[in-house]
Amino acid sequence: MKVAPRWIVPLVTVCALVVLGGCAKKAVQTPPTPPPAPPVSHAVDTTTTPTPPPAPPVSGTVATSDMKDAFFDFDQSVLRDDARAALDQDARLLRDHPNVSVVIEGHCDERGTEEYNQALGERRAGAAKDYLTQAGIEAGRIETISYGKTRPFADGHDESAWAQNRRAHVVVK
Amino acid sequence: MNARPKRGGRAIVALAALAWLAGAGAARAQSRDVRIDISGGGQKIRLHVQGLTAAPDDPHASAKDAQELLARDLDDAAVFTVSRGWNGEAPVDVQGIVIGRWSVSGGRITLDGEVTDASPARLSILRHEYRGGVGEWRDLIHQFSDDIVLQFTGEPGVARTRIAFVAQQGRNRELYVMNLDGSDLHPLTADRSIALSPSWSPDGSLLLFTSYRGGTPPRIWVMAATGGRPYLISGRRGNNTSASYSPDGRDIACTLSQDGNAEVYLLDARGGSPRRVTSNRAIDTSPSWSPTGRELAFTSDRGGTPQVYVMDREGGNLRRLTYDVSYTDSPAWSPKGDRIAFVARDGNGFDVWVCRADGSGGHAVAVGGLNENPKWSPDGRHLVFASTRDGAQGLYVTDLDGRPPRRLDTGGLRALSPAWSPRPPSAVASATGRSVSQPGGHP
Repeated sequence: MKVAPRWIVPLVTVCALVVLGGCAKKAVQTPPTPPPAPPVSHAVDTTTTPTPPPAPPVSGTVATSDMKDAFFDFDQSVLRDDARAALDQDARLLRDHPNVSVVIEGHCDERGTEEYNQALGERRAGAAKDYLTQAGIEAGRIETISYGKTRPFADGHDESAWAQNRRAHVVVK
Repeated sequence: MNARPKRGGRAIVALAALAWLAGAGAARAQSRDVRIDISGGGQKIRLHVQGLTAAPDDPHASAKDAQELLARDLDDAAVFTVSRGWNGEAPVDVQGIVIGRWSVSGGRITLDGEVTDASPARLSILRHEYRGGVGEWRDLIHQFSDDIVLQFTGEPGVARTRIAFVAQQGRNRELYVMNLDGSDLHPLTADRSIALSPSWSPDGSLLLFTSYRGGTPPRIWVMAATGGRPYLISGRRGNNTSASYSPDGRDIACTLSQDGNAEVYLLDARGGSPRRVTSNRAIDTSPSWSPTGRELAFTSDRGGTPQVYVMDREGGNLRRLTYDVSYTDSPAWSPKGDRIAFVARDGNGFDVWVCRADGSGGHAVAVGGLNENPKWSPDGRHLVFASTRDGAQGLYVTDLDGRPPRRLDTGGLRALSPAWSPRPPSAVASATGRSVSQPGGHP
């Protein structure tokens, strides 16, 4: 093993301080101050019970069940129209909740071998990630993992089960 | 980037050294030329197993089970037609008569096994004594069977080999190993994660496998085939899958997606020095070594659908293996180099096919249901594969001789992803009478 040069210690220390400082500063800034309530509701009628303003974007309020999965054709990783529509909705949610990060799981049906499906699942997850990043979601908020055909959603051995299992499953971290 | 854990450093060096040493032996053994194995499906040798006699004071009634096990071993060797003396069958036109005598002494058993010719004089063709503990009677039978196969074919049988596989348990998949006859079945992992694609080192001491253990994307691990702690071989970004040692044990072929999509790579035996072999936007995966270690068969969908291709280990001389089927995957190069097994899509089913190494002569050897992951026995006479052919997921062996595949006993586990071990190092058997030199049973 190579011995690190002597200057590396102060350098690392400085870097660490800078990084820690950066973190601390960010930590102070979060949680974000809620935006002031829209003045309109107050101006119209202050005597009646005011209509609550629309909830401001708050992180942590999105669950995996709010996200839509993208489904694929056999041996394909091309996004169909329904997959794009699902990911458009996911992109909106992610834009509204900038502190939410997701893991996109690539899944395949039981046909084809384990190893090929691991690669295919990765491509499906990657296609979904690419679509979301093109829709403006930072790549750093999206992890991908391929489960190939090892974690099917439906247990059957027909097209209705297979169609359920060929998907990019979006999981909120 | 090699994410090998520091604490495992010394152990993995030892493991790697073991693999290297084993590989060096394998390299010498495999310097022979490729030859076509004509035994599969050809004329079989007629053998009569007369039976095994138990010792008069034998405390355990294993003789009947043992003689049936011996006959089944010889049947499964796929080079004999076997008749059984205890079934009232007569030795008709046989080339050998198999007899044996058990004796027990002080917790040890001895099998005095003999094969004679069918002449009135019953001249001895082979005679060995096999000794072991009382609990090792199955292994003594397998040794005898392997020696009989050696005597008649010039190459020992595979009755003493082991099968590594993966068992589906709920959402998880654990790594298991067992003897070919289903005995000594036990788990090697208990990660409550997903293990996949086990592959033996050339000396049979180590298993490479893919695992999601620790909640990561798939990574390549290695562990002793007898069990113990796994060590990380490759935890690079993305998928790390499909690992197998080269026949000399010095390199690992695998699939890495650190470049953004699946490419075939070579690593050294410790997982370092990555060398990229394929460069294509398509999926390139499932590399399988030729027995010389000079070429790799692999799967790529560069032509639109998955197809098996062959290339040299530097990535040159690429050729598509076969044009018979529109979707082929999961290549396995035979240990003699003459054939390649693969999986072909057939509607919604998948069949196991075998063709010659040049792609000619392709034909299905297992059809019906999903038949996957064919792997060769070390003698190249059999294939083990995973299948749903009988409904329940399990492991099957085809002897490539026209008989239907036989299901392996995996103790009720839903077994997938099999891998056939090399032969064990030569057993020490004391020979009496006309002895047969124990060959290089070590592959």
